[in-house]
Amino acid sequence: MAIKYTLQGLLIYLTIAAFLAAFVSTIARRRTTGQWFFTLGFCISLASYVYRWIDGRHVPLQNLFEVFLCLGLVCYPISLLARRGLRIGGQWADMLIAAIVLFPAGFVFHAEQQHLPPALQSWLFVPHVAVYMLGYIFMAMAAARAAIQLATASQPISGKILPFEQATYELIALGFPLLTLGLILGSIWGKRAWGDYWGWDPKELWSLASWLVYAGYFHWRYMFGKKHPRLNSLWAIAGMAVIIITLLWVNLSRLFPGQHSYAT
Amino acid sequence: MIRLKRAVLWACLMAIAALAVLSVYGAFLGADRAQTFFNSVPVAVFWGAFAVLLGAGIVAFGRLLWVPSLLLMHLGCILVVIGGMWGSQPGRDLQERFLGTERIAKGRMPILEGTAENRVAIADSNVTKELPFSIRLRKFRIEYYEPGDLYIYSRDGRRWKLPAEAGRSQTLGRDLGRVTIQRVFRNFRMDISGDERIALDAPGGSNPALEVAIERPDGSTARRYVFLQRAGHNNPSDPLALTYSQSVRDYISELEVVRDNEVVASKDIEVNHPLYYGGYHFYQHSYGQNQFGDYTILMVVADSGLRIVYSGYAMLMVGIVWHFWGRPLRSALRNRRSNERDENR
Ligand code: HEM
Repeated sequence: MAIKYTLQGLLIYLTIAAFLAAFVSTIARRRTTGQWFFTLGFCISLASYVYRWIDGRHVPLQNLFEVFLCLGLVCYPISLLARRGLRIGGQWADMLIAAIVLFPAGFVFHAEQQHLPPALQSWLFVPHVAVYMLGYIFMAMAAARAAIQLATASQPISGKILPFEQATYELIALGFPLLTLGLILGSIWGKRAWGDYWGWDPKELWSLASWLVYAGYFHWRYMFGKKHPRLNSLWAIAGMAVIIITLLWVNLSRLFPGQHSYAT
Repeated sequence: MIRLKRAVLWACLMAIAALAVLSVYGAFLGADRAQTFFNSVPVAVFWGAFAVLLGAGIVAFGRLLWVPSLLLMHLGCILVVIGGMWGSQPGRDLQERFLGTERIAKGRMPILEGTAENRVAIADSNVTKELPFSIRLRKFRIEYYEPGDLYIYSRDGRRWKLPAEAGRSQTLGRDLGRVTIQRVFRNFRMDISGDERIALDAPGGSNPALEVAIERPDGSTARRYVFLQRAGHNNPSDPLALTYSQSVRDYISELEVVRDNEVVASKDIEVNHPLYYGGYHFYQHSYGQNQFGDYTILMVVADSGLRIVYSGYAMLMVGIVWHFWGRPLRSALRNRRSNERDENR
């Protein structure tokens, strides 16, 4: 754990503080203040991302520091879409997720600028990683609703808000096309860079596994969704667990040497 | 019928779960062994069964046939599996045996600068095969990011990075002082006349180096030269170690395709930009140097089943986007329109 005594570090810490303030205010039933802090946190995270972009002269999605910076950035718009567009409740969970994903960027991964290696110099680089980041946040927010459903027997009483099980499904349904697109773009990129559209690389296999968990979720829910709604939620949480492994473990662990290991 | 449907769906869940478990297992094997594993006969049988199961699903469930988005995504999966099997090593072996198609599936081609080559070392074997045309390497070159970087390491494991430009400096803390890059040499040379030694940037040649000043906490200053091409010796008692390096921006092979002594195509290939000729893709794979000069190593790949797989991708993507984004979008638009109508009444 290392503190970053730089402008970049300061912006990250301010964002985390704003997101945590939003979370605390919302659970203390000061919703308007919570929303205000959430918006403020988003503005600072946008400034932080743009600063990194200008400083490095390429879209900041190259290593884990930049990837987590991006994850922190996309939480607010996705949460807004869920609340306004889909009538999904539990925004306090999104505020917490936003703070948590910025933690590794602030305290764990080093922020040293790196040149883009030849393999990453492709027009597919940005869309491939960006759709995955968006997809991961949808799935994280879905897993949070699934956990709320499991932890609380009660459901939202207000008819204006979707039941948490339904909310989990809606978020996964929006995120699944993004995971699919990420997988396909990665495959096409692999073909252009290395000659194979599928290299059986550990990172590829883990992302296939996470995609399959969600495919399993859809079929399970179709078959038994009404009878065992709590088990649906377990699928959603399992999917998130596999995503976390895909994102982190493969990069950090020496267990899986592969073509994606530059991305640490 | 309901029983059959239930059985198909159960089998579907099992198959998806089994594939997820196999993927995780494959991740522990590492890419090479995973490739062998997923191409082995028992797993090939599994792939075939998976495709059949998807087909059975479409037959058993009317909705999969009548709802276009569901049909597209399930058919897309079938095509990806079939295309993958067609292009796999066992698939190619079968094609060779029954259809008589004999093409180089995958191999490596080392080519020395200034020479043409048509032999391909086949992957995972000692066999060499010949292409019906040759590839000439006009030149191989590596491009670097400018400027390079000066790395400074302290004995206690701290590290700093500075762009290799004159005037750049870095404070290392109270215990170590400050490092400043004073000069950047493209071709460093030391002239010794009598007792005096003069560092100069000589025209021609290439020996990039940096002149670095280290201001120590006690007020004294030391001068050091750090070379790009040589690691340099670090004095064990020295509190700092310095290295100068440049990151590779690209590996480029300038290629020509030669057929009947005539150049029929040419392309400078680099990572992410292969050459396509005669049904083969040529990728920049590796490089090296021997007593005759620089050489490049190309990866030669003949696509097999790629179009089937890519068609599958397209169907899968369109089906999934249509199903999960299209329908909610349409219903949201419909709701908005009916709300507007209500307001206007
Ligand atoms: C292995 C054989 C498979 C069978 C027998 C099968 C069968 C089915 C059935 C019966 C449905 C329900 C359709 C409805 O809403 O009425 C369905 C939905 C679906 N299937 Fe499959 N499927 C299979 C494999 C897959 C695979 C590999 C994928 C991966 C993309 C997949 C993706 C989906 C999706 C995304 C849905 C929609 C779920 C929803 O609307 O909630 N299926 N499938």
